[in-house]
Amino acid sequence: MTEPKEHIPLFKSWKGWYLLVIAFLALLIGIFYWLTKYFA
Amino acid sequence: MNGIDWLVLSVTLAGIILYGLLKSRTSRNLEGYFLSNRSMPWWIVLLSIMGTQASAVTFLSAPGQAFADGMRFVQYYFGLPLAMVVICITFVPLFNRLKVFTAYEFLEQRFDKKTRLLTSFLFLLQRALSTGISIYAPALILSSLFGWEIFYTNIVMGGLLIIYTVSGGARAVAYTQQIQFLIIFGAMFLAGYMVVHLLPSGIGFVDALHIGGKLGKFNIITTGVEDGKFNWNDRYNIWSGIIGGFFLALSYFGTDQSQVGRYLTAQNNTESRLGLLLNGIVKIPMQFFILLIGVLIFSFYQFNGGPISFNSGLVEDVRNSTYADSLSRLEQQYKTISGQKEQAAIAFAQAVKSGKAVEEAQLATQLSALNQQSTEVRDAFKALGKKASSRDTNDTNYVFLSFVKEYLPAGLRGLLVAIIFLAAWGSIAAALNSLAASTVCDFHQQFTGAKTPEQEYQVSRWYTFGWGVFCVLVAEFANQLGQSLIEAVNVLGSLFYGVILGIFLLAFYCKRVGGKAAFWSAVVVELFIVVLFFNEQVSLFSFLPDVSFLWLNAIGALGVVLLGLLLQGVQGKFVQKQATVV
Repeated sequence: MTEPKEHIPLFKSWKGWYLLVIAFLALLIGIFYWLTKYFA
Repeated sequence: MNGIDWLVLSVTLAGIILYGLLKSRTSRNLEGYFLSNRSMPWWIVLLSIMGTQASAVTFLSAPGQAFADGMRFVQYYFGLPLAMVVICITFVPLFNRLKVFTAYEFLEQRFDKKTRLLTSFLFLLQRALSTGISIYAPALILSSLFGWEIFYTNIVMGGLLIIYTVSGGARAVAYTQQIQFLIIFGAMFLAGYMVVHLLPSGIGFVDALHIGGKLGKFNIITTGVEDGKFNWNDRYNIWSGIIGGFFLALSYFGTDQSQVGRYLTAQNNTESRLGLLLNGIVKIPMQFFILLIGVLIFSFYQFNGGPISFNSGLVEDVRNSTYADSLSRLEQQYKTISGQKEQAAIAFAQAVKSGKAVEEAQLATQLSALNQQSTEVRDAFKALGKKASSRDTNDTNYVFLSFVKEYLPAGLRGLLVAIIFLAAWGSIAAALNSLAASTVCDFHQQFTGAKTPEQEYQVSRWYTFGWGVFCVLVAEFANQLGQSLIEAVNVLGSLFYGVILGIFLLAFYCKRVGGKAAFWSAVVVELFIVVLFFNEQVSLFSFLPDVSFLWLNAIGALGVVLLGLLLQGVQGKFVQKQATVV
């Protein structure tokens, strides 16, 4: 049985989404690091 | 709470029950009742996942946690987005392809029936007891602050949601979680706005952050390194958050039916994945925002002397005991320090604004010393509290609601009490639905004859009702046993999560390992984990190390994988030897 083709929003494949999630995590950590230093 | 608060509280709770009943129409079969006919779009899956994870204690504890220990708790969630990616790659396509009702059903297809039953049993045991405590914990805080009878608070906290959960199954759970979450977030945003609004005139949001930052509450990123060495006992830092948080989230979202059941309701792989991945994106900012409210409340109390303890029930117990005179002396001391803190905080905020760096540094040091003095007085009160009362002297969980009770206007106060109930209902409803799904699909169907869809639907409703009553009874029983039980049962999850995750890791990543090896490795490691845990409490075997409960997850998961591989290897050699003999 073949699975129906997925329509992935925004990106061509799920890899784009996975990278987005990981990049967003890295960005948040960067922002949090800056906030920690700035208000300390 | 006045009449307006009661009105807002009653209307909000009644509205959710009615909405849940309105959304109860579903197909009268197992797929309709437990999986909403696999029809949900990604945004409902997302809100359902978030509503299941965020219990009442999340909204009660997190601001208090930031108040006491700063914002570093947010690092605990750093592993979650990574776990979402792994689950989307491995777990989601498999569960959806096999059209399973429960995560444990997959284990029968991969291993055998006994491994499925064992894993499902461990889940039921852990989830039922922890759901009972997630009813009791917020009920206890509300009853202590507002003087409500805990027996009835438990019933409202854990009982009313049974009406729509029994009636509408997964569909009612998902739709009510959607509304609950929107109300919760609206109310939390209003609470955050009110904290800033109630600061003295001329003191704004950024000033409050500067005060929190200078007093160590804006410690969002910490490395866990002290004096050049990594501190393994430091619970929240970037490394424990990414690594420990990853395994915890993988286990919770990948193998706990209360979460798996949420994304199995999605229309297809795409909707499941989008719900999970967006959870990976919005969860950390959400926790950051809730913790930020705690820092703002901390700054607020620099300008407004707070109570000596945020648990007003505890203060009353001490006041009515033989330690009343000692309490009066401590309160007088605390008031004097609070007055000095207020002056220093105002001067500090002005120094920051005018850019006087030297003055700013001096005032920050003064403010820090005054806060140290406040902490010492509060500690002296806690020592009195231990002698005079059986209540918990740690008031971290009481900080947020105490602020709500004392400072917020009528109506908003009722709404914020309502969101505690709504948050509890969201996670408890999902838990009851998953407990019933596992009982019906993993046990009832296995041991009874063929049934019609209508009979299965009715049986599922009765199991949901039965689990609801059981969890409320656990909450009432917990009240008889005392508050120390809360922590004990929180630890309970760590006794089982590791082993359950280990079984799934074997299933996904160790293709050679069969049912017999997986089953016996899980049994042996589970017994070892239980022995290890009790050994830490009573020191039965001196040769076993004392291990904090947080490590039991990793030991359980790795133990099952390694022992499973070993047993499979031994079994393989044994079979090979027999074949040679024959």
